[in-house]
Amino acid sequence: MSNWERLVWNQRGLLWQGLTVTVEICLLAFALAIVGGLVLCLVRLHVRPLRPVAVALIEFFRATPIFVQLMWVNYVWPELFGWPNSFFTSGWVALGLQSSGYLAETFRAGIEAVPRGHREAGYSVGMSSFQVYRRIVLPETLLTVAPSIVNQFTVIVKSSTLVSVITVPDLMLQAMKLVNVWYEPIEVLTATAIIYIALVFLVSSAGKALADFHRRRFGLDSA
Amino acid sequence: MSDALIDALNPALFWEYRLVLLRGLAFNAYVFFAAAAVALLIGLAAALLRVNRARPFRWVGTLHVEVFRNAPDYIMIVWVHFVLPLLLGKLIGQRVEFSPFVSAVIALGFVYSGYFAETFRAGIQSIPQGHLDAARACGMGETTILVRIILPQVVRRMLPEAVNQFVSLFKATTIVSLIAVPDLMYQVSMVTQQEMRPLPLYTWAALTYFVVIYLVAGSLRRLSEHWRQKIYA
Amino acid sequence: MDAVPAIRVVDLRKSFGALEVLRGVSFDVPRGSVVSMIGASGSGKSTLLRCINRLETPSAGEVYIDGEPMGGRLSDISRMRRDLGMVFQQFNLWPHMTVIGNVIEAPIRVRGMRRKEALALAEECLARVHLSEKGKEYPARLSGGQMQRVAIARALAMQPKAMLFDEPTSSLDPELTDEVLTVMRELASDGTTMIVVTHEMAFAREASDRVLFLHNGQIEEEGLPDQVFGAPRSERCRQFLSKKLQ
Repeated sequence: MSNWERLVWNQRGLLWQGLTVTVEICLLAFALAIVGGLVLCLVRLHVRPLRPVAVALIEFFRATPIFVQLMWVNYVWPELFGWPNSFFTSGWVALGLQSSGYLAETFRAGIEAVPRGHREAGYSVGMSSFQVYRRIVLPETLLTVAPSIVNQFTVIVKSSTLVSVITVPDLMLQAMKLVNVWYEPIEVLTATAIIYIALVFLVSSAGKALADFHRRRFGLDSA
Repeated sequence: MSDALIDALNPALFWEYRLVLLRGLAFNAYVFFAAAAVALLIGLAAALLRVNRARPFRWVGTLHVEVFRNAPDYIMIVWVHFVLPLLLGKLIGQRVEFSPFVSAVIALGFVYSGYFAETFRAGIQSIPQGHLDAARACGMGETTILVRIILPQVVRRMLPEAVNQFVSLFKATTIVSLIAVPDLMYQVSMVTQQEMRPLPLYTWAALTYFVVIYLVAGSLRRLSEHWRQKIYA
Repeated sequence: MDAVPAIRVVDLRKSFGALEVLRGVSFDVPRGSVVSMIGASGSGKSTLLRCINRLETPSAGEVYIDGEPMGGRLSDISRMRRDLGMVFQQFNLWPHMTVIGNVIEAPIRVRGMRRKEALALAEECLARVHLSEKGKEYPARLSGGQMQRVAIARALAMQPKAMLFDEPTSSLDPELTDEVLTVMRELASDGTTMIVVTHEMAFAREASDRVLFLHNGQIEEEGLPDQVFGAPRSERCRQFLSKKLQ
């Protein structure tokens, strides 16, 4: 029986379990990043009194390393806010917050790139500002920022390995556990690294294909 | 204000350990500079492979970029620290061990070489053919052209992108504590174990990193913009 | 007149794949003379110029500079290129160097001139293109006409035996072409050997000693300016000129 079979293949159930946790965490974090990023961006652009708060949050999320933020959310928030109440939640919240800072800036750049005339055209046919935003500005923005969103998702997947540090049972943690059982790291860690690289490659290729398809529908070049 | 918030924002404990913590931050800087040097060198080599005329060279360059750009920092650090020495040991039939610092530099250097390779390549390919024609028409040799015409422009063109990557790399140095490089985060966790007061320690660690990165990134961006604008007005 | 021409082109041919761009072109450029090359886009003018200093490798034929055949190893080509100053349609100034930097770069790196000498030479060359005061600017700050004049100064600084101009005014706004043409006229009357690929018919007629009309990779008509412009023998040349001079 080869080491690969004993240490990797026979442990596939455990690794698979870890992978599902990784996927769950990433999806939750991604959802939070999109919503949080959009909210931060809109507040920054349109809610004058809260603007400094939004700017401070965006800059803080962006300029703090994800690992530091993760530890901070995990150790400090529960005592400060009584939440998050599980490591799992701390994990995706921290990942999501950091990316929301990046996406807020991405969205802002996208919104500011929408030509003023497109908005004016909306107003001139009698749309309300809300309608102009929902029907014209945001769809156009999405078109230009799609590649950056995909990229941010791959960043989340890569950073998600760190939630293992706060004992969330993701793929990384399962791999480290297996290493600690047998002290034979070569096969397990190599397999895990390959799985992660393949996962990120898959996400970015699929995301790029999707974004390009979306752009081509409107007759634009692929990004 | 709640007691917890007051505790979290109280800098006294953080200040008490300032010397140890500052030494930790210095380790972040060491890892950063060493890894940046590795990343730039290997990144340039990979970029030159990717723009090479011979297809096999291009394949190797592309493989390099795809592997390292898609690899999470953490798994790479762990892999380099725990697996690479074993593999090298088998190869030369001798026990090999990396210090945490060396592992961190190798892993981060290689991961970021993937990003830098793409930036270099984009920079090289963005130089108009005409600039090279003009140099050849003056009778310059290929080495002179690379050193005097291509590289200076590549460096300027890739600056904004490179500044972002340097910032990312610096942020990534915070995870080297996980293989026991005594950086700031490592010291914070040590002090936390002693004092059992994570609130102020992690809050101030986060604030410290934020301020350092925010200031350094901001001034680097301004510097690079200033330098570029002189040329691409 | 000199027996050895500054540039001699013999039966030059160039194909890109199946496309034959030059189909056997021969002509001489005597020392001190100005030859203008006219013709429609795609007639092979620019390719011909680029074959002369080997930016393109000809498929067949020879080019002689002062009697010496152009070609051989890359280092030989580089050495002979020093004697041919080239001015491009797109200027191709190096954006990361100042105006002076652009002009002294090749004299220092290629001719091995000392910096001080090169600077003095650059002053002189910039004066010839009337840009003495712009030495410290970066190219991005200059107008198109100024950039092209710097490019001319850069070529002059190599003290070449001949200058090659590849549509030097074609990417300039009409109001900026004159300043460049003025400089070129001055060079011509100073006795600089020049080959000029151009769409400026007035310049070709007034400033050159000979005019070549290229069509389809061959010299269709050639002669003194007044002869080519006044009484072209070939039908195609007549059509081309009547369109141009409308």
